[in-house]
Amino acid sequence: MSQRDRVSAAAWLVVRNAHTAEDIFQNVALKAMTKEVQFESVGALMSWAFITARREGIDWLRRQKNEPICLDNTILELMEQEWADEAAAGDIRGQALRDCLEDLPTKSRDLLKQRYFDGHACEAVAEHLGVRLDAIYKRLSRLHQALKKCIETKLEQPAS
Amino acid sequence: MSEEQNELLLRHLNGQLGPNEEAKVADLLRGNAEARTFLRAVAEQAVVVADVERLDQHKPQTAKVVTPIFRPLKWAVAAAAAFVLLSAFVIATTPPRHTAKVIAVLGPCQYIAADGKVRDEVKVGTLLRVGDTIRSRSSSAWVKLDLNNGSLMTIAGRSRLRLLNVDGRRGFQLANGNLWATVAQSAGAKPVSIQTPTAKVEANGAQFDVEAHSMSSIVRVNSGAANVMRLADGQSLDVVADHQVVVSPRRSRPFALTRQPAPVNEWDCHLIAGSGAVFGKWLQPDEKNSVRLGASPLLIGKKTTVFMASFSVQCSSSPPVLIESGSRVRIRGTTRAEGPIYFGITTQRIKGVFFGKYTAKIEPEALGQAGEPWQIEVPLSQFKPKTKHLPGSPAGMELTDIWVVSREENAELEIHSVKFLPREVGQ
Repeated sequence: MSQRDRVSAAAWLVVRNAHTAEDIFQNVALKAMTKEVQFESVGALMSWAFITARREGIDWLRRQKNEPICLDNTILELMEQEWADEAAAGDIRGQALRDCLEDLPTKSRDLLKQRYFDGHACEAVAEHLGVRLDAIYKRLSRLHQALKKCIETKLEQPAS
Repeated sequence: MSEEQNELLLRHLNGQLGPNEEAKVADLLRGNAEARTFLRAVAEQAVVVADVERLDQHKPQTAKVVTPIFRPLKWAVAAAAAFVLLSAFVIATTPPRHTAKVIAVLGPCQYIAADGKVRDEVKVGTLLRVGDTIRSRSSSAWVKLDLNNGSLMTIAGRSRLRLLNVDGRRGFQLANGNLWATVAQSAGAKPVSIQTPTAKVEANGAQFDVEAHSMSSIVRVNSGAANVMRLADGQSLDVVADHQVVVSPRRSRPFALTRQPAPVNEWDCHLIAGSGAVFGKWLQPDEKNSVRLGASPLLIGKKTTVFMASFSVQCSSSPPVLIESGSRVRIRGTTRAEGPIYFGITTQRIKGVFFGKYTAKIEPEALGQAGEPWQIEVPLSQFKPKTKHLPGSPAGMELTDIWVVSREENAELEIHSVKFLPREVGQ
């Protein structure tokens, strides 16, 4: 995943809205640009970016008058650390994910679009597709697993 | 990881779990690296899905080029006719690309591309695409955009506007600030959508303005009609010409159409009520002043910070305020170091679009001894236009907001009262 995808994903875990997560990433990028201090390493920059994105996410939830219902800080920190450790994989995972999305059947892609791009809750997606809520969770779970597997397969293939 | 555990995490993301199940999710994530990997994968996929969809919807439509093949004359004529018809069909059915071009700009502004690249200088001709953001960064700044189909938008003051693709339609997100829109009527075109933190506004053929803050949005329609949805509960209203609606995130607040009140010629920001102050920080009352709004720092460029307090007419629930030739701005406050301060006003046409910004410099001598309270009254004639194209006086326009700026942090600018007064009797 690119650093942009990782920071946006970390923000998404807090706000659960892809467009807001993208906004938060932009804010973080802006803050990094205007920050007076220099970062000693990419690791330090990423660590700062994750913390800033998390704080911005929680602030955003508060501004919406929503009590933050995100995971507690220790869990988020653990996941951010794991993201930072994976940084060596560079952008190729992000590209692999994009390729895998292109290969998805239209129905599956539409489900992901409704849930994550349009930002509909699972209940609304179920109603729209005329299926039970449990079926939506099952489909999403399988789709996420399939995409994860697809990325791993693509990364195992030798570069052409 | 079992499928049930994955589904539990997805239900957690959907906000559907009770406290016991949430505790289960927390335990699972603390103790199970695979669960964390799955959740991270979901988050990555969610943002990449949104990114791919955003880009897909923005892909330019490509027209097929037909290579002419030599045929006898009648076939050539038929082929040419078919090509013309096909081209006409393609042109007629290709949606216009959702872009916006900067056609006028003043003051510190910033362009943030969809990929996070930041440009601190915005020039006339800059093209914004879906996902790009434009910010006007100080009270004196504004940007005018041409939406490529005869529609125009202006943002001013501290505003932030992002181009979105909303279900294949032209969309904008006004995160905060003021926007004036003239949306041209186009037959068969889908309405333009503008989202604020509390409302969604949709219009096709309307002139309206929106003031957006995190806790309220005010939509005023001056011609045509716009549909306004309250995001808190999905209720919507058609706001027709000469009407307005205030949209709060609280369902307990009324969500109703009201006629725009007739303009008045004076305004007291009533700081004690609080709602008119839109930028600054509240300070503890002291023995002399029960209401004190301190100027807040505002970064307006690289290494350039000003200290500002600003006050909005609409947010104070006042009727529109008409600016007359003898109008005056009276502000009370204190500064703790010697130095000039600046008063500014934003103006718009009565029931119309953004007009321009005017400022007045207040020299330190007029403020008296540092630390002592001052009251400054500035006649309209002392306000100077921020751009050459503006007339010398904004008389006849409507007042949108007033702001006060100091360039010095140690001035500790604070404001105690803001009034816009009519011309004096006999003037």
